[in-house]
Amino acid sequence: MTGSMFVYDPVAPCLTEPQHVRPALDSIAGKTIGFIDNSKPNFNHLADDLAELLIAKHGVKEVIMRRKRSASEGAPEAVMAELVERCDAIITGSGD
Amino acid sequence: MPDLPIAVVPHPFGTRSREALREIARTCADDIARLLCEAGEREPSRQRSSVSAPRASLVEAPADPVELNRFFIRRRWGDGLPISAPTHEAVERMLRHTRRAPDEVVATIAPGMGAATVEYIAINAVMAGCYPEYLPVVIAAAGAVATKRFHLQAIQATTNPAAVWLIVNGPIAKWLEVNSGSNCLGQGTWANATLGRALRLVLQNIGRALPGEMDRATQGQPAKYSFCCAENEDASPWEPLHVERGFAADANTVTVVGALGTWNMNMTAMHPEEVIAMLGDTMQYPASSDYIYGGAPFVVLSPQHANLFHAAGWSKADVKRLLWEASKMRAGRSRGSEFERMATARRAELGEIAADTMVPISEKPEDITIVVAGGPGSHSVFVPVSAHTRSVTQEIVLTE
Repeated sequence: MTGSMFVYDPVAPCLTEPQHVRPALDSIAGKTIGFIDNSKPNFNHLADDLAELLIAKHGVKEVIMRRKRSASEGAPEAVMAELVERCDAIITGSGD
Repeated sequence: MPDLPIAVVPHPFGTRSREALREIARTCADDIARLLCEAGEREPSRQRSSVSAPRASLVEAPADPVELNRFFIRRRWGDGLPISAPTHEAVERMLRHTRRAPDEVVATIAPGMGAATVEYIAINAVMAGCYPEYLPVVIAAAGAVATKRFHLQAIQATTNPAAVWLIVNGPIAKWLEVNSGSNCLGQGTWANATLGRALRLVLQNIGRALPGEMDRATQGQPAKYSFCCAENEDASPWEPLHVERGFAADANTVTVVGALGTWNMNMTAMHPEEVIAMLGDTMQYPASSDYIYGGAPFVVLSPQHANLFHAAGWSKADVKRLLWEASKMRAGRSRGSEFERMATARRAELGEIAADTMVPISEKPEDITIVVAGGPGSHSVFVPVSAHTRSVTQEIVLTE
């Protein structure tokens, strides 16, 4: 490169890459699915409709809904522990 | 969260009709059923030690200043303003102002969880134009924004125009000539301009909150370029912010605030009760996340207003309590989903909320923070704060 100089790349590496691969379900039939409603407008309605469809069309055994106080706060530890204990997969949203 | 599967729904989602949502659900249910049965693609990587990280690497770039800036902007390494070249010599000169090792990880910066090593912080501070002796302030600010209490994830990735405001307290403010007086939130001071900018570059280059990508701000605000001042401790009749928060008067601190903007309040009234009433009225607005969730807003009092209150015999705590009462807002001013979010979020605190419920801006009067800053004039400033963030004050560690 003509008339060049050396400068530092200012972008730092990420040190918290995932430590294990996310496991896949063989099927969602017969499974328990959790929803964390993040209180974004309309997500509660979407989750209600999804619950109906996942049970009726895809054979899901049970859907568990829990609502967060707001989108930008994490779910309480107790809610997380309950969902991890009871669910095969957990869905959170919506992000907009 | 690079490994998480995402079912995509069309935007805007929150304003769809009930029937439109049912249609979205039909497609989305099939996507969810499929995505949950697909394995993650990324190979696991061993998490590195949290105490050190790889050193930064040098890259060849054009020496011509115009071309150098094009080089940085093309890589999305800049903020849109000209940068100072982060050469090895410039970064080394800055690193002399800390005893910490260059590869020491000060913090991980959300949402990208980049390693804010001392060296990477120095690189970004050089780019911002900081003088070398500013480095300890930027290191302290990087540590402060990464605390759980500050909740940086919510600030960096929000659609709100959240800017991080730095408030410098202690003797260092004078040593570094951080402006606390006239136009302290405006232009014209090297320290204010470059310190705020350095943190912005840290948030962007280390936290990877790039505009339009992880930084989802709908419009943003000019303060996202830089937002920094010192408290005008000499003109304040009260204990300064860092002393209020438990630091010694001669300690040096930086406070980080997730600020949504600045709102001028020009009040020449002579009676302190009248000024409190106007402050309280101005702080109220129905589309405010402070009222919806119970916030932690800031008020920057001019020395004139602070001394008016002090002359009335009021302490800072008294003023907070008076403002908290005066700024209660009728809940019905928030409409639709904002009213519903307020009713949900504040039910545990306030019980069932009706249209006539008077809602305080924060859970407690002490959640309002008062800073005295600015020069002569009858202007104070309201600074609403982003939801679920709390300001954090961190000591600045100097080399001597």
